[in-house]
Amino acid sequence: MKNYLNLIPISSKLHRRQTRMTRWCIVISVFLISAIFGMADMFLQSQKNLAVMTDGAWHVVFRELDEEQTALLAARPEVKSVTRYAATNYKLDMGYEVGGVQTVLCGFDETFFEIYPQAHLTEGAFPERDREALVTESMRERQGLSVGDEVVVAAPGDSLTFRVSGFVEDTSMMLKTDSFGVFMNTDTYLSCFRDATLTADFACYVEFVPHCRIQRAVGDICESLHIAKEQVSENARLMGTLGQSGDHYIMMLYLVAFILAALVAVSGMMMILGSMNSNVAQRTEFFGMMRCLGATAKQVRRYVRTEALFWCMKAIPPGLLFSVVTVWGLCRMLKVITPTWFSEMPGFGISLPGVFFGILIGILTVLAASRTPARKASEVSPLTAVSGNAGTVFAAKRAAHTGRLHVETALGLHHAAGSRKNLILLTSSFAFSIILFLGFGIGITFMKHAIVTLRPYTPDISVVSQDDSCSIPDSLYTALKENTDIKRIFGRSFAYDLPAQIQGEDKRVMLISYEAYQFGWAEGDLRQGEMEAVRDGEGVLLVEKPGIAAAVGSDIELETKTGRQKVRVAGILGYAPLDSGEGVGTVICSEDLFRRLTGETGYTILDIQLHDKSDAVVEGIRSAAGENYRFSDSRKNNRETRAVYFSFALFVYGFLAVVALIAVFNIINSIAMSVSARMRQYGAMRAIGISVRQLQSMVAAETLVYLAGGLAEGLVLGMPLHYYLYRWAITARWGDAWRAPVIECLVIMTVMTLAAVAAMTGPVRRIREMSVVETIGM
Amino acid sequence: MEIVEVQDLCKTYGMGEAKVEALKHVSFTLQKGEFAAVIGESGSGKSTLLNCIGALDEPTGGQIMIDGRNLFAMREEERTIFRRRNIGFIFQSFHLIPELNVEQNIIFPLLLDYKKPDSRQVEEVLEVLGLQERRRHLPGQLSGGQQQRVAIGRALITKPKLILADEPTGNLDRKNSREVMELLRKASGQYQQTILMITHNPNLITSVDRVMQVADGILSDLGGNVNEKLS
Repeated sequence: MKNYLNLIPISSKLHRRQTRMTRWCIVISVFLISAIFGMADMFLQSQKNLAVMTDGAWHVVFRELDEEQTALLAARPEVKSVTRYAATNYKLDMGYEVGGVQTVLCGFDETFFEIYPQAHLTEGAFPERDREALVTESMRERQGLSVGDEVVVAAPGDSLTFRVSGFVEDTSMMLKTDSFGVFMNTDTYLSCFRDATLTADFACYVEFVPHCRIQRAVGDICESLHIAKEQVSENARLMGTLGQSGDHYIMMLYLVAFILAALVAVSGMMMILGSMNSNVAQRTEFFGMMRCLGATAKQVRRYVRTEALFWCMKAIPPGLLFSVVTVWGLCRMLKVITPTWFSEMPGFGISLPGVFFGILIGILTVLAASRTPARKASEVSPLTAVSGNAGTVFAAKRAAHTGRLHVETALGLHHAAGSRKNLILLTSSFAFSIILFLGFGIGITFMKHAIVTLRPYTPDISVVSQDDSCSIPDSLYTALKENTDIKRIFGRSFAYDLPAQIQGEDKRVMLISYEAYQFGWAEGDLRQGEMEAVRDGEGVLLVEKPGIAAAVGSDIELETKTGRQKVRVAGILGYAPLDSGEGVGTVICSEDLFRRLTGETGYTILDIQLHDKSDAVVEGIRSAAGENYRFSDSRKNNRETRAVYFSFALFVYGFLAVVALIAVFNIINSIAMSVSARMRQYGAMRAIGISVRQLQSMVAAETLVYLAGGLAEGLVLGMPLHYYLYRWAITARWGDAWRAPVIECLVIMTVMTLAAVAAMTGPVRRIREMSVVETIGM
Repeated sequence: MEIVEVQDLCKTYGMGEAKVEALKHVSFTLQKGEFAAVIGESGSGKSTLLNCIGALDEPTGGQIMIDGRNLFAMREEERTIFRRRNIGFIFQSFHLIPELNVEQNIIFPLLLDYKKPDSRQVEEVLEVLGLQERRRHLPGQLSGGQQQRVAIGRALITKPKLILADEPTGNLDRKNSREVMELLRKASGQYQQTILMITHNPNLITSVDRVMQVADGILSDLGGNVNEKLS
């Protein structure tokens, strides 16, 4: 031993049990901080992947540029690629068709495939020559096309002929709307549509080089090329995940994320601070002895700080390792469950921000947290070591109130509230759990608003009547029902714009038929009345809507092809997934009643959910249905929705789980530390004659004060924080008024209460098993 | 009347080569009101003896009867309650509760029994201890001698049949030591309480009725008239 500081590793080895709690505290704090930042990093990476897959890898789009501006833009050093793009019949309302199917015609540069990885070539090559085009896979299959074939697009008053140079995958929008796509180079596009299309229709999608400060670059470009701000818009989702968005709302989200990150860092600091304070308090006698042997106050301070750093070296690597493994686990889940969307996510990647913040906050916190204990240790009087009072006489400032309460309860309360500083520190660390939980809870509300989830009734494919009439025969429904690859099939018949008299007023309604499945899903939205009578065809459901109201039991008079008929309102629905349009009511009835009322026997739409979602099965259903109906394929769209929701939910609930873990660990640690610090006192009390049960009550009373104080403080501080975060993240975008997060509060309060109960079991067991003689050193 | 009856008491620590026999077949009795001292060198086993009699440590063999009750035939909870009602402890390091004032510390064993303290009795103890003026003081505001007096008051308040004192003057100066011994003498004489005290200080055994010596775990009774010889 060359230096008194060499005592640290020796002491640590000998007092492994005493320092274990502090080391674990640092390990877990580093783990939580690093896991949260690592998860946030991976979350951003996953969202970036999704944004690129669904919206494209472009950063900014410039519209209405002339050729010179486009060339100058492409020549700029910060611009990686410029892709020109224009589309005709994008909304399927211009009458361009191939074989009677609506067709979208697009013209773009070859770089389009780089910025839209979802649209990739399955065969052939990008059309280099005039009148060459790529066509979608669905067109290839249904028109029986090969590379080199000619395809004729029926245009309003004319037709366009292209030679097929290759095939591309259908987009989810095309599959859902049952439309084709024909894609050509920009020269061909201009030669076809120069007259009908303005230069303004061309948009220049720009991808910037990595690490470019995009907002500044866009400002420079606009200034130097004289482009108005209105001509520029950004890929908000991608820019948001890159932290480059100039969008006001995204900036608000950055602020929310910054506040949450700061709160996580502070909560980690508080955990470590509490643990180190307690550790030093337990070793007062040792520091007194050091002073007794001639150590200066400065040397004791240095000893405590060096010891803190020594713990950092021991505790930070395992903390980081746990967090890396956790983040790996989450990423693997993403990759395994939705491989198409997250194949580019690193399976065993290490989040550098997570590791960086874990180390930084770990070291800074331990150093900052060791300041106070170091000062306290250096202030220990040498007399403390020799007087025999070390660890027995705490500096109590006032006596406990033993008048009204049992002495053990009074002492428990006093242990918690006797020192204001200790009370504030512990209740604040408890409160932080609530504040964090409420803060991260905003993520759930955000997710519910931002992502449209799949409903139980969301179909994989739909067979739709061409003219929205009830033209799909019952026989097709019966035939498809026999198909074992189909999980569920449910049809609806529609009668649009029927004149009706509701509550004596003339209105117009849309009449829809439901069957057993749809009635089952609608149960949850039933506000009044009963579903049974509607199922039996003895009444109808009316969907709540401004201006359309009727009481349950009242009659609605409908005018259909078969004449005027009265139906009884048996129930009111708060919501229906089908909107009838402004001012038009929605009336839902059974299939039998619909047929009696309208005289129609067919369906307008058949929704199908599949067991086997393969293309072969879908093709089989398509050929069984024939060419007389529109065929909407939502599988790709559903996969996108599921991937987006899953990736978001995984991280939002992951954050909440980590925050709940912080709460649980914090409570268990605080109670264990508090009991450890008073163990000698408890030993003396046991010698005097206090029972284990009485000591248990004492610990319970102390815990109760921390819990109640923490809950109160957490709610008082957490609610305003929740209010502001909600306003910035939710109200600013969707206009929803703030509502108190009752469920979040109940969840975290339950978690904390259970954690507090669990937290007492360990210390109480230690008290029960303690040797009085060894504890008080007799 | 026998208050303490120790029969064939053995206490062993460790196993194999590390085995230490702290007490070897110790037997003795103490009568009501008797003030006995146990002397011996450090590590001789005297503290172990006191801890076993006080039910703080469990013997390896033998039995201890206090007021006719076998201590280690009781269950833990019962033994704890028996201890707080029948055995008073005085420690070298006082072990006062820092959050309770002088009066609260003294009545602490009664509070643990959920009994309302008799104010006359409390006054009497405070007067005997000379702590009336300091009844609202916290332990941290008292001198060592005063703290030990509070500890004695805490041991006396339940009027226990037996008081065990482990080096009660070990942390005190000569004047305070004398005062503490006077108090213990008074407790033994005036209140007929049996006292067993461990000490290193040969001067203290002049005040006791009987002296026992522990050496290598073996107890020998030096009798009651050794005062002059020892001093």
